[in-house]
Amino acid sequence: MTNRLLFFVLLALYISGCDMLETHPYDVHITGERELTNKNIQLIENKMQGKKTIRFAMISDTQRWYNSTEDVVKAINAHGDIDFVIHGGDQSDFGVTKEFVWMRNIFNKFQMPYVCLLGNHDCLGTGEDAYRAIYGNPNFAFTAGNVRFICLNTNAMEYDYSEPVPDFNFIENELNNLPSEVEKTVFAMHVKPFEFIFNNNVAKIFQLYVNQFPQVQFCLYGHEHQLTVDDLFNDGILYFQCPCIDKRIYLLFTIKEDGTYDYETVEF
Amino acid sequence: MRPLNFKKIFLNLLWPLLSFTAQAQEYKAPYSFFPKDSILVSSVQDQGEDIITQMPNRHHKYDKRVHRYRRAWEALIPTHTKLQYAGGMGLLSWGIGWDYGKRSQWETDLLLGFIPRYSSKHFKMTMTLKQNYIPWSIWLGKDFSLEPLTTGIYFNTVFSDDFWTSEPERYPRGYYGFSTRIRTHIFLGQRVRLDVPEKYRKFSKSITAFYEISTCDLYVVSAFNNSYLKPDDYLRLSFGLKFQIF
Repeated sequence: MTNRLLFFVLLALYISGCDMLETHPYDVHITGERELTNKNIQLIENKMQGKKTIRFAMISDTQRWYNSTEDVVKAINAHGDIDFVIHGGDQSDFGVTKEFVWMRNIFNKFQMPYVCLLGNHDCLGTGEDAYRAIYGNPNFAFTAGNVRFICLNTNAMEYDYSEPVPDFNFIENELNNLPSEVEKTVFAMHVKPFEFIFNNNVAKIFQLYVNQFPQVQFCLYGHEHQLTVDDLFNDGILYFQCPCIDKRIYLLFTIKEDGTYDYETVEF
Repeated sequence: MRPLNFKKIFLNLLWPLLSFTAQAQEYKAPYSFFPKDSILVSSVQDQGEDIITQMPNRHHKYDKRVHRYRRAWEALIPTHTKLQYAGGMGLLSWGIGWDYGKRSQWETDLLLGFIPRYSSKHFKMTMTLKQNYIPWSIWLGKDFSLEPLTTGIYFNTVFSDDFWTSEPERYPRGYYGFSTRIRTHIFLGQRVRLDVPEKYRKFSKSITAFYEISTCDLYVVSAFNNSYLKPDDYLRLSFGLKFQIF
């Protein structure tokens, strides 16, 4: 009997390569590519080196809209003149491991590099572990041409003060170690200041830090599933909200050499 | 400090024993207390006494009650153990279960499983409450039977601080609107049963091997309205063994 049992268990383990044999929806058993943020940052930095005009697309809140997400990838690829893509967070709805894998498999069809921010839904259950395994640290920055993109985890409510969110050490470290070619800055986050998920005790201090960076162009965020543009702190820095993918819109930004920028909303 | 009075302590310890010896003496009186205990009434009658003692009714009631009480607790003795691989309840789950119903067509299992660490922060234990319905059993000949359909539902919970049953109070009510901890799965499957011939019987009366196709609440919701997700994305396979104790 023990032999038969052993055989059965071994056979079962053998076929466990098959994705249908799942330990648990939240098991963080990740198959396929990992550490995509670092890989894509390398690609962006190499590709954009020396460039003064930067054109990138932003999508956000793709959770549970797999069909629309597939469509936006096709639409962005079809545009033909987009340097890279920023995803504003919430690629998962429940933090389930497979949601991250499914989304990653769709994003991998992008013909240009892409980076994904961490959304509040991505933190549920073991979601953040899956995010960290597939993408990496939720606070990251990269240089595209002469623009520094600073991408931040602002989902303070999901951490209950167990971790600094937003991480001012990270921001300060960025400020003190900006690469020499950087002339402009763009901030990206999932949740804007003053939304309840943000740590609003430090909202103004956050903006104080933002203002210290060279030529802040604008800030980008998602989360509320709408298209909005606001001067949140009345200091001239615009906060652009990228709508959810179900609205079938992506944002297209062009940061130009003459110090201005264009933005378009593209329906697909 | 005064030295302890060991003699006094010793006597005190002995006191309960002394009282027992006294009782034992009393019990030597043959069957003097038996008529009080109805359970032993038959053995009293076997003594060949001339007078058949008619027990008062209240003792019969007591008998029935004890009988019922025993039956109730006996019903809680598990009739089988189960081992299940995958199925969203852990890498491996093991547990006890009960079968009941006229043809033992119902089975309820309580399983404990584990989730290895993989890329998460720590190893986790899970618990599953599973209800099975096995409407048919077809004899295949010799010691084998086929149960062409098993179906049911199971609820899984994870023991980890990463999950909540209902949202913490810091969120507005119903903000996320689901429990990350409790998963509900439904399944369909088939089983083959081997009745262990009596001479080989050691621990199990029969052994049943089964497979199941299942899905959970979150996958159903995800698959809804998304033709991108194919059946092998939202359906899960699992295998298991059932060992019938009695």
